[in-house]
Amino acid sequence: MTGVWDDDVVEAADVRASSAPAGITETQDGPGMPAALETVPETAPETALETVPEPVPGGPALAVSSRGRDKGAVVTPSERPGEALLPAPSEDDAVFEICDLSIDYGLGPGALHAVRHADLMLRRGRVLGLAGESGSGKSTLVYGATRLLRQPGVVSGGSVRLYSRRRGEEGRVVDLLAASERELRRIRWSEISVVLQSALNALNPVSTIESEFDDVLKAHRREMSRKTRRERAAELLTMVGINADRLRDHPHELSGGQRQRVMIALALALEPQVVIMDEPTTALDVVTQREIIEELIGLRDRLGFAMLFITHDLSLLIELADEIAVMYAGRIVERAGASTLYRSPRHPYTHGLLNSFPPMHGETRRMTGIPGSPPDLAAVPAGCAFRPRCLYAMERCGTEAPALVPLDGEEHEAACFLHSGDVAVPGELAR
Amino acid sequence: MTDNASLAPALEARGLTKHFTFRHGLLSRRGRVHAVDDVSLVLAAGTVTAIVGESGSGKSVLARMLARIVMPSAGELYLMGEKVVLGQKGRRQYASEVQLVLQDPFASMNPVHRVRHSLVRPLRIHHTAGPDLEESVKDLLRRVALSPPERFIDKYPHELSGGQLQRVSFARALAVHPHVLLADEPVSMLDVSIRLGVLNLIGDLRDKERLAILYITHDIASARYLADSICVMYAGEIIERAAASTLTDSPAHPYTELLLSAAPDPARGQPTPLPTRGAPPRLVAPPPGCRFHPRCPYVMEICKTTPPPPVTVDAGHEASCWLRLPAGERRPEASSQASLPMVRGGPGLHARKEVASRNEP
Amino acid sequence: MSAITETTARQEGPLPETPETPALAREDTARRHRALVLPRSPKVILGVVIVGIFVILMVVGPWVAPYSPSSTQFAASLHPSAAHWLGTTVLGQDIFSQLLVGARATLIVGFVAGLIATVLSTVIGVTAGYIGGPTDDGLSLVSNVFLAIPGLPLLIVVESYLPAHDQSNSFIIGAVIALTGWAWGARVLRALTMSLRNRDFVEAARIIGERRARIIFSEVVPNLLAVLASSFLFTMLYCIGAYVALAYIGVTSTAVWNWGTMLYWAQANNAALANQWWWFVPPGICIALVGMGLALLNFGIDEFINPRLRAAGLTRKVVRRSRLSNRPRLGLTPVLGRPA
Repeated sequence: MTGVWDDDVVEAADVRASSAPAGITETQDGPGMPAALETVPETAPETALETVPEPVPGGPALAVSSRGRDKGAVVTPSERPGEALLPAPSEDDAVFEICDLSIDYGLGPGALHAVRHADLMLRRGRVLGLAGESGSGKSTLVYGATRLLRQPGVVSGGSVRLYSRRRGEEGRVVDLLAASERELRRIRWSEISVVLQSALNALNPVSTIESEFDDVLKAHRREMSRKTRRERAAELLTMVGINADRLRDHPHELSGGQRQRVMIALALALEPQVVIMDEPTTALDVVTQREIIEELIGLRDRLGFAMLFITHDLSLLIELADEIAVMYAGRIVERAGASTLYRSPRHPYTHGLLNSFPPMHGETRRMTGIPGSPPDLAAVPAGCAFRPRCLYAMERCGTEAPALVPLDGEEHEAACFLHSGDVAVPGELAR
Repeated sequence: MTDNASLAPALEARGLTKHFTFRHGLLSRRGRVHAVDDVSLVLAAGTVTAIVGESGSGKSVLARMLARIVMPSAGELYLMGEKVVLGQKGRRQYASEVQLVLQDPFASMNPVHRVRHSLVRPLRIHHTAGPDLEESVKDLLRRVALSPPERFIDKYPHELSGGQLQRVSFARALAVHPHVLLADEPVSMLDVSIRLGVLNLIGDLRDKERLAILYITHDIASARYLADSICVMYAGEIIERAAASTLTDSPAHPYTELLLSAAPDPARGQPTPLPTRGAPPRLVAPPPGCRFHPRCPYVMEICKTTPPPPVTVDAGHEASCWLRLPAGERRPEASSQASLPMVRGGPGLHARKEVASRNEP
Repeated sequence: MSAITETTARQEGPLPETPETPALAREDTARRHRALVLPRSPKVILGVVIVGIFVILMVVGPWVAPYSPSSTQFAASLHPSAAHWLGTTVLGQDIFSQLLVGARATLIVGFVAGLIATVLSTVIGVTAGYIGGPTDDGLSLVSNVFLAIPGLPLLIVVESYLPAHDQSNSFIIGAVIALTGWAWGARVLRALTMSLRNRDFVEAARIIGERRARIIFSEVVPNLLAVLASSFLFTMLYCIGAYVALAYIGVTSTAVWNWGTMLYWAQANNAALANQWWWFVPPGICIALVGMGLALLNFGIDEFINPRLRAAGLTRKVVRRSRLSNRPRLGLTPVLGRPA
């Protein structure tokens, strides 16, 4: 399982071009998709429609998949600037790499395996989305990787590396699992920073916003004078869209959205190379959430950090992330570029999850989501953990746990036996 | 799905208002929070009406007033066409008709009691159990698709998942045989993959049991999926209401537009940039005129001084926005006239707005 | 009906599923789940043993005492010896017998007083906290007054007004002591009830039309049991202290043997000046031991309430065997195979 990232890095553009025909071959759609073709013309150019053999009645999913094919066939600066305008990912861009990471709660036979054999790679200037439901281990994964996980969490295997890209230390590699406490302290915040969900609890209620910035800068930038520190704090606050005169305010004087912005500004104070966001917008309203995400993308474009965005909201991730990893019961079950994942999910769980978000356009039809409930980590079923909820479960799924394997030579991986070549792939997982 | 029967609506609210007063500072200056201002609403049997709004828009307070957990400062409630006398008296009788399901399934079940207790209590209080109490409890569990009921009846809340608990919450509400079901963000605390199950359950209760349902949410996509009509609340007021797909496809109020552009929607290629920024007003001193005007990209002079009347945009579609009136009719006095020739109709939308009280200082 | 049946019941284990467990409700439900798990920590076991020994003493003390505690048949001021394990008083009484006999009254009064005080504080605190408004203002005023009045002087005054035969009645003395001991618990319970009052499950009970008294006793109080138990232990400790103090200054009947009266006689006869340590040290140690036992027991309750104290799954033995640092440090998650 390890090494997939190192060895199989392919130019993304090539991947898209070569994968296009594969997308066209399947035209059959899931049952009961009423016609909503009026949404197609405004988003999909003529060329896209031509590639479809006959315009079968297709719901919104079809409209999007044809648009996606168009993008695959002609590689132009597309609607997703993050994907097309940034240089294609290469090995050199890697800043943070998680390999085969396993994390347990507790030790010995009673231990819960919260994360098993997870691989992730963050690249400079890119947003990696990590999606999963509660108990999927998504937070545990990043807390364990940064070694912030509390008792009784234990990292039980794997490696986590930070590739420094700072001027003067190019090529420096830090192994986070072997690092001393002192080294970790140095790296955290200045190289890797984390933004938590509850900004209200993270900010000290009795100190001003300014002193929060001051503390961070004083600890990590000893050379800065008091005046420079204040100027820097004002600059950071302005950067996230808050007026600098709010520096003297206390956290309770700010709204929830403003507090979360302050947290983001604090996380960026030392210009880290990796920013980890753990459900940073879940507690916020949709409008505030959108404002903050616009802000984040702007900052990412300007500062070029790598971002790991953790959330349960897959529909949000598809708009935000360049690449998405989906976790289920402690394992990464699918990983692909954001639009690829949306257009052609390969794992039944991803497919079900995508079908759990009611669409904003087209006819409303009854949707079913995923039957059953997410598993308890203490009693994950043998074999594939998704088997009890899976519509396509086979005998093999009960005994073996599928590994995450690359599909169709794409930058697309899924952990599902349906794609092992032994069985016919259901239409909705082969689009 | 639609219900145009000319029966009296199951529950109707007219001009519901809630102002919380609080003492401010040492000098005991009294302040008032305008949590809900003059909201009128009709819930008809066999329909789902959705209220969409951000936190602080007053949607939860509205639900609690409708459930008579919070006493309104002003306004009237009509249950099956009969005026409800507000106060502690008759609360229990009212509870047997109108039930509220809360947001957090983990918190709304007492951790020390089994599922059985949660369901037996309402059956006992309202004498709605059949000859066999145990069988009535099991029936309730089956109605919310928790079967076989034997598996769930003796469980403690911590032994059930969020989705199962929320079903138990619905079963508890159904135990009293209500005609009206109010659901305050019933799926927002649940995992994504099990939300649809609960939404479909609500839809089934509407279709099969003809309940009048109020679905409160911040997620406009789920409102579109489930509801027949949607009301959008902003800063304590309903600013737009229409049939569900009408509202999401052709919003008439700038705030609804803002909400729609902010909601995640993977089907659009790239998120549209937000038309405007800023936060909802503080409800202690809501802005004069239209409460949305400080954020509105189309703000006009009149918006800053006079609250807009509800304007009928289309049959069953009304929006409280000056933009929706022809330029010549945008006069302050219009705010007390425009509502009169209002068209009523559309699924679940029999809106009445008493605008007179709107102009009080 | 195509609504989904959820087939797999999910068990919430004692472990947090994410590093930050936001759902408080899950924590206290998990606590109930462990209600029958016996305490494992050595502290709690020690507490159970100490309190157990004294409870046995309370029951059998007067029967196993070698001599009558009041009998003056022995030589005065004997040092501890095989015949008199703790020596004798200046009046020639066997101190070991006094200690054994005195345990009963001391502990019974402490227990009764603790019980009454806890019941009082529950009724007053929970009512004030749940109902709020003027009721709360009134009840809070009363409990604040009782908190502000110095307990011991009040006790002395009340106690000295009691008829002589009541001064030897454990239950009446207990009730009087409880009068000064309930206020603190009432304040704690009031605060907790105020936070429970706004919890969703209480609101849900209101929504289905449950009556107020029923909500208080069936929905609120069961959630306070752990705190009530803890409050009971500490109140009992306070009451034992108060009773001993009263007996020591001679306000209660000297005819009843308890550890306080022993100290009273020791003081009255200048035992300390005469260096007769065997007279006043043993009752002092017993009082301290009972206090310690109750406090240790309370740790057990704390462990039920606060899951962080349990360090679930990481017992010291397992940690040592895996050669991890056994001193957990924040922000340094251990890595197996790489000792920190």
